Amino acid sequence: MSALYEKLSTIVLEGRSEDAPAAVQKGLDEGLDANDILQKGLIVGMNEVGVRFKRGDMFVPEVLMSAEAMHAGLDVLRPHLVTSDSKMAGKVVLGTVKGDLHDIGKNLVGMMCEGAGFEVINLGFNVAPEKFIEAIKQHQPDVVGMSALLTTTMRMMGHTIKAIEEAGLRDQVKIMVGGAPVDQEFATRIGADGYGSNAVHGAEVAEKLVDAA
Amino acid sequence: MTPPEQPVVILACKVFKTLLEERLPGGLASRVEFFDYGLHRIPVRLRVTVQDMLDSIEQPSLVVLGYGLCGNGLNNIQAGPHTLLIPRADDCIAILLGSYKRYMHEFESEPGTYYLTKGWLESGSDPLKEYTECVEKYGPEEAQWIMDMQYQNYRRLVFVAHSDEDLEAYRPRALEVAEYCKRWGMVYEEVLGSDVYVQRLVELAADVDKHADPDFVVVPPGGELKQSQFIR
Repeated sequence: MSALYEKLSTIVLEGRSEDAPAAVQKGLDEGLDANDILQKGLIVGMNEVGVRFKRGDMFVPEVLMSAEAMHAGLDVLRPHLVTSDSKMAGKVVLGTVKGDLHDIGKNLVGMMCEGAGFEVINLGFNVAPEKFIEAIKQHQPDVVGMSALLTTTMRMMGHTIKAIEEAGLRDQVKIMVGGAPVDQEFATRIGADGYGSNAVHGAEVAEKLVDAA
Repeated sequence: MTPPEQPVVILACKVFKTLLEERLPGGLASRVEFFDYGLHRIPVRLRVTVQDMLDSIEQPSLVVLGYGLCGNGLNNIQAGPHTLLIPRADDCIAILLGSYKRYMHEFESEPGTYYLTKGWLESGSDPLKEYTECVEKYGPEEAQWIMDMQYQNYRRLVFVAHSDEDLEAYRPRALEVAEYCKRWGMVYEEVLGSDVYVQRLVELAADVDKHADPDFVVVPPGGELKQSQFIR
């Protein structure tokens, strides 16, 4: 049984999206729990992608291929995840902050959050503080996730948190941040509740924040 | 205060090679090292490269770092016995444009800007070069998808040069890149950079008493470069 989990994580790591659906289906056919296929297979692979990317052993094109494989696997898995764990984990609003147009990482976090059972509202990129505020009012999320790729734009996360505070909404949501230049120290300094070092970690942080609420 | 007899060592990214060499007074630096472009793509490696070189300097020195924060690559650099002097800039573009203010102005006018420089065009990378490399690895269709994913939100390609000669010399290649980038609706612009930031860095390196300058970060011996020192 564990061989299939390993195979799935390798498929994700190597970005073989054409092999992912059949491998996931095989697991389901063999009676493996959908959640285990996700946790012990796909996510293990995706986590390794995050680690290798940070270390410089994987580059953006390879990460994109891995994300595709993850996506293809999740598509097959998703209906089964809902039946095995019917309650939604919560609601997450995601966006890349104003001035930043990079969305690959943020979209990955979205995919991982969906995999973890969250309803994800993806606001896209270059999202102004007022858009975040509007989304909080409209969607009443449990968690707001912000991302930035550049050091020039990551300060906008602090401004956005401040704006959410000023709008009187800070207590309603947990806020998590991430992106290449962000670290725990920065997250703490700007008053975020959590920091995700990669996409898998981001989804885990969202879960923890909801559990703690 | 740093003793005047302290040697000056310059560790810089190759992107500043010409600008620095042209302005460095003879005899000022006891050692000048330039590092490869593109180290910032893996910030962890940039940090290790710079830190290793710093640690290899035996005599306590004023080490001038020709870098910015560079995607956090310079975050957590330990000064050790040295004094560090570094532009308070996010990356080389602010330094090449001459000021943080001008960089922010460019940034605000179009956040989705990809900058080309002489150095990048010579031996760094650009979207067209990346595409060519991706085609070899993944085939044209996959390569195009990879490129779209990375650059589809960009709207402008800016070539920053420091002389009309450089503009002339590198324009043909810049235009090739521009042609490719049209697929995302990117417009091409040329901008003349400024040597003001680099000139100031050289002046400060020569006279350590002037170190109180909001556009630079100075780390005393035993200190550490921190991301927070760069954020303004």
